[in-house]
Amino acid sequence: MATGLSAIFMSNRAALLRFLRARGAGEDAEDMLQDMWMKLEAKDLGPVADPLPYLYRMANNLVLDRYRSSIRRERREQDWAGGAGGVMADPAEQVAVDERMILNQRLDQARAVLRDLGPRVELVFRRFRIEGVGQKMIAEELGVSLTTVEKDLQRAYRAMLALKQKLDTE
Amino acid sequence: MNEEALAWVIRTRDPAFTDWETFTRWLEGDPARAEAYDALMAADDGLDSLIPPEPVAMPVAANDAGVGRRAAWRWIGGGAIAAALVATLSVGMMNRSDIYTVQTRPGESRTIALDDGTRIDLNGATTLRLDHRNARFAALDSGEAAFTVRHDAADPFRVTVGDAIFEDAGTMFNIVHTSRATRIGVSEGRVIYNPSAEAISLPAGRGLADDAQGLRMTDIAPSAVASWREGRLTYSNMPVGDIAEDIARTLGIQVNTSAGARAMRFTGTILIDRDPARFFNGAAPLMGLTAVRQGDGWLLKEGDGPKS
Repeated sequence: MATGLSAIFMSNRAALLRFLRARGAGEDAEDMLQDMWMKLEAKDLGPVADPLPYLYRMANNLVLDRYRSSIRRERREQDWAGGAGGVMADPAEQVAVDERMILNQRLDQARAVLRDLGPRVELVFRRFRIEGVGQKMIAEELGVSLTTVEKDLQRAYRAMLALKQKLDTE
Repeated sequence: MNEEALAWVIRTRDPAFTDWETFTRWLEGDPARAEAYDALMAADDGLDSLIPPEPVAMPVAANDAGVGRRAAWRWIGGGAIAAALVATLSVGMMNRSDIYTVQTRPGESRTIALDDGTRIDLNGATTLRLDHRNARFAALDSGEAAFTVRHDAADPFRVTVGDAIFEDAGTMFNIVHTSRATRIGVSEGRVIYNPSAEAISLPAGRGLADDAQGLRMTDIAPSAVASWREGRLTYSNMPVGDIAEDIARTLGIQVNTSAGARAMRFTGTILIDRDPARFFNGAAPLMGLTAVRQGDGWLLKEGDGPKS
């Protein structure tokens, strides 16, 4: 197939392997790299704007997927042992109608957090987290510096993650 | 909270992030950093259900959040009788000559204007029954339809979907009905789900899904409701299996999914392209999937594309 992507993969194999190891892939790193290669060979990806970052992101996603499925497995086992229902076990899952009151309460708390952060921080956070707009573009849209956007995002993330942690332990 | 790891979560989540070498070096500084990063990325996944669909502090488009409610509750009061009427209707409906069926082929879409001013947009592979004698009735047997209803509190518009009933309270909403799932999203006004039983009120920005996981409320950006009419498919945390059915209906092609792909979910917007090869070339990597031709149809399987 000899697309640019495969060539870039081959010439950066060592760097990608180093990345996978640094990401904690351990002895699976070689296998994951092999998976990436097979997938690249098997599919006809159109031209990719920025091939090397694309490959890194692909590798990063592989590690994240592995982490997520290990967490899900752990949680299932815990639920099993604890006899707990699955519904509240994973707050990322959508919630049964019986639980909609709880969901609404959680959303109200989230609203309070966002209100405290103020309109600009909320706007920046929504553009970035929900709409997937990059920080540089958000800075341009709002006419503020990149540093301001970075700081806003950190504040929003800290507050929202702290709320999530609090709700999860309640 | 690990501030450095959080900074890297934000940086690497940026679609324009390129400095993976520096990230590698940071990770190599301490094995605990990769763990902290993974944990925060996982926590970040969980934020989806915690972010309210509508902005809190920002100016919002005017929406009659409070107004529709009164009409809805009033109607629930008289719900039992009305529901009984609807039930009779649905049973007797099959052989009545006033009932007519409107169908679209896969990939075809069609707009119907009812006498009362209501508009129904049918996506592909959809079967809808209507009543010549009652313009306030529709039954979605399969497929997807967007309803823009002229509201009349005295004579609400009702859509029956399987054994569920959706009733409008001044409304624009979209319903998908397949063999496995029913999903509704509300973009304006309010819809009441099963007025005589659960009587769940769904305002704009809310939806409801009923599938293998059971019945549950969902959030949906009002602009994403029925976005297929504008050539977009917009999702928030939607199982890939459901998305594949939407694609099949909209493009008029067969789409199968691997078990791995079905286990995945997608958040984002896919642009519709009538040319399947071109469509999947853009859409599959976006969903982190790979699309391969399979006979006349396509197979979506677990991929490796970046999910920004």
